[in-house]
Amino acid sequence: MQIRNFSIIAHIDHGKSTLADRLLEFTGTIEKRLMRDQVLDTMDLERERGITIKAQAVRLEYKGYVLNLIDTPGHVDFTYEVSRSLAACEGALLIVDASQGIEAQTLANAHLAEQNHLTIIPVINKIDLPNAEPEKVMEELNHLFGTKPEEILLASAKEGIGIEEILQAIIERIPPPSGRIADPLQALIFDSHYDAFRGVVAYIRVMNGHLKTGDKILMMGTNGEFEAQEIGTLKLSLIPRDSLEAGEVGYLIAGMKDVRELRVGDTVTHISNPASSPLPGYRPAKPMVFCGFYPVQGEDFENLKVALAKLQLNDAALFFEPETSAALGFGFRCGFLGLLHLEIVQERLEREYNMDLIATAPNVIYKINLTNGESKLIDNPTKFPSFAEIRSIEEPYLKLTLLTPAEYVGKIFEIATSKRGTYVGLEYLDPTRAMLTYEIPLSEVISEFHDLLKSASRGYASMDYELIGYRESDLIKLDILLNNEVVDALSSIVHRDQSQYRGRLLAEKLKEVIPRHQFVVPIQASIGGKVIARETIPAIRKDVLAKCYGGDVTRKRKLLEKQKAGKKRMKHIGTVDVPQEAFMAVLKLGK
Amino acid sequence: MTSLYIHIPFCKRKCDYCDFVSYAGKEDLLDQYVGALFKESQALTPHPSPSTIYIGGGTPTLLSVEHFEKILGALLITEPSALEITVEANPGTADKKKLKALKELGVNRLSIGAQTFNDHHLKTLGRIHNSADIFRFYEDARSAGFENINLDLIFAIPGQTLDEWKSDLKTAISLNPNHLSTYNLTIEEGTRLYEEITNNKSLGAARDAEPVEALQITNNETEATMFEYSIDALIAAGYKHYEISNFARPGFECRHNLNYWKNGNYIGLGAGAHSHVNGKRWANPSSIKEYIGCGSVRRNVLRRAPDDSPDATDQRETLFLGLRLIDGLAIDHFAGFDEEVGQLLKEGLLQRNNGHYRLTRRGIMLGNQVFSRFV
Repeated sequence: MQIRNFSIIAHIDHGKSTLADRLLEFTGTIEKRLMRDQVLDTMDLERERGITIKAQAVRLEYKGYVLNLIDTPGHVDFTYEVSRSLAACEGALLIVDASQGIEAQTLANAHLAEQNHLTIIPVINKIDLPNAEPEKVMEELNHLFGTKPEEILLASAKEGIGIEEILQAIIERIPPPSGRIADPLQALIFDSHYDAFRGVVAYIRVMNGHLKTGDKILMMGTNGEFEAQEIGTLKLSLIPRDSLEAGEVGYLIAGMKDVRELRVGDTVTHISNPASSPLPGYRPAKPMVFCGFYPVQGEDFENLKVALAKLQLNDAALFFEPETSAALGFGFRCGFLGLLHLEIVQERLEREYNMDLIATAPNVIYKINLTNGESKLIDNPTKFPSFAEIRSIEEPYLKLTLLTPAEYVGKIFEIATSKRGTYVGLEYLDPTRAMLTYEIPLSEVISEFHDLLKSASRGYASMDYELIGYRESDLIKLDILLNNEVVDALSSIVHRDQSQYRGRLLAEKLKEVIPRHQFVVPIQASIGGKVIARETIPAIRKDVLAKCYGGDVTRKRKLLEKQKAGKKRMKHIGTVDVPQEAFMAVLKLGK
Repeated sequence: MTSLYIHIPFCKRKCDYCDFVSYAGKEDLLDQYVGALFKESQALTPHPSPSTIYIGGGTPTLLSVEHFEKILGALLITEPSALEITVEANPGTADKKKLKALKELGVNRLSIGAQTFNDHHLKTLGRIHNSADIFRFYEDARSAGFENINLDLIFAIPGQTLDEWKSDLKTAISLNPNHLSTYNLTIEEGTRLYEEITNNKSLGAARDAEPVEALQITNNETEATMFEYSIDALIAAGYKHYEISNFARPGFECRHNLNYWKNGNYIGLGAGAHSHVNGKRWANPSSIKEYIGCGSVRRNVLRRAPDDSPDATDQRETLFLGLRLIDGLAIDHFAGFDEEVGQLLKEGLLQRNNGHYRLTRRGIMLGNQVFSRFV
């Protein structure tokens, strides 16, 4: 049986999930009556946000070929996971929206595919839209990849146009897998998920050799030893098989209770006849962005711990450990791949586990070089050593790629500069589209950068980034005092040049979001004990229902209950009630 | 003591700040509506012997004299002079003849929705009368024989200055009404005023320019100053401040409303009217058509939180309603709330006086912070 392994690279909203739906339908993998939109996006959050968080794989059969579609997560936070999914394929469909043109992340992922020597099949989607400009997109593709017009397929996944041509191209253009069955086993883990009944299910691509049920296996990166209890192929459910051999895509269940027992990118081999080396590209999970999660009600601490542990079962990149804040009490310091990952975890805790949470503003890991010659990594501003002990501070830097309609270049320049970006280059993809490159601190990108970019470009600019290492920066710790007490959870690390300005803005913002109290609440921003900005929340002077209309007591009672509940949802710091959004204020300061 | 409330949900025009049950342009339903009210009052068993009757709205004075006759005829079984019978009236909606007829039917208290004497602010509120109408109407009411008149006033109207409010109070006092209600305007979601203010705001932000005569919400400081000034000025003019928003010449406190604040029994008749009898609350449907359709059947018994026994809820309601009265509430009502009371005494929002707990001056200003402890 002939095999083709491929994935789909596309930007959010460019129609990846719809195309996947059509491929499933067209190949009869799923019956029409069972079809629902975005079949592969199984989480509510994925459907709502229109993004794929977890990769999925599905086996299609078409004209005597087995076509394994390996879906990729569609966000910059998950670049590593994308690269592993791509490494499991020989080809990729590059989907570009005919009315939007190529976006930064798609470009980055397409480059990843090229690095993995994948055959790329460019598809211009949504050609049915009235504002479709396929010629312009062809020009862009030519500029970026040297693609010739005749290599490009035109499609509308929504209308079912071009689906057959796409399937045909997958068969004709993508090379068959080239592994050797006789070699020792090397199977790439490109994703995993946790099943409450069966434990961890690993998604694998067998690169060389073959794997049978009952084989004793070794994870070459993490050194875990297991038995292959069940293996099989992936349709929309798991189909058990006795063996999988080189070139095939399938699943592996090996009695693992926790996704952290394996790692995406790791290589599975036999204990008895191990491969001489693992497959290239393995990297241990490394959170980049940290924040504190605290229960609003102190007694929910245990529930939060349980909820985080449950999420972690299915999310190897999520890190958490208990921490204590003088202001917020007991909570957890949590680590994430990026801001979206953070938001997803927070949203799932709130929605699926009903947690009432305070999240502190996210920060990156700083490398502090001490005067005594030692260095340490700090994941929380409150752990910053005193000024006198610090020789220098380093922070993670990114290479940031921005794709934008040309008319917004000026505005984006301004934003990037105000966010400490160092200009690297500007390139025009066609007369109307530009690609800007910057080097910029990660800390600036995880605050409001994306929001600013979107609003400056009416939503048209897109971005992608990759970590390029640590660089020294002139950073200092900005503290906030409420009612003359330092609130540790509001401390942040800022560049010295911006400290005055950010301190002032933060104090102003806090004045907006913290409600008036019966007494005056002073807000101060301070650096090293020196106050640099000051605001005052005046005492509330009047707060009383004027009238009790026509005996509708219930309505008034509900209003009062709401007021009471609102107060309860706030965090009581000393005598000041602080609402949840205050802790995120540091992120929303405007540029 | 039982009170009767009769709701008349008809208006010539709905005021821009009004989120009460009232409809404009449905006057063709008046006859049917009064018929339904008649049926509902006939169906009351046992027939109540009310101590007060309050006909509110909407605009009750849109009813004809015959309508009033029919409604009151169905309800009055005792000599009306023993009762307090109030009718809400808006300036310009009844002539001297109608007012006289009401007086003869036994109505002995008139509550006039003056709101402000400033024609500009009357427009902002969407009222259909002007200040001249108020003066004329007030004089007509007096000469029709009404000896117990309330004026409703509103402060913190968008754009209203402290001086303008002072002037409103001065004018009101000069008319010498027996009772004054001064309400801080609440801009409720879903009202035209709310829409206007939020739209002005967003338009202003989007165009980055000053919108034309944007309505400004009165800030907390000004509201507080206006309220404090009202209390001082009305007390100085000889009125007794007896409830957060209400002032009366001695002996002219509104008995009907006092019954609400004392969490007494009352029966509401008409669309959207609320009732409270022996700890149970319910409300009639608020749609006129539905009300007419279901005649005398009462529905929509208001839901109570399942874990809250009626007694506990009723005690809570007794507390937050009763504390609205300036004399406060006898201490024995506060059983089980020692902690809350202790805290409020410490915060200076509550004080003990003559076996009662009552709001301090600061507590009056911050009433919600007191009430919300008891819900």
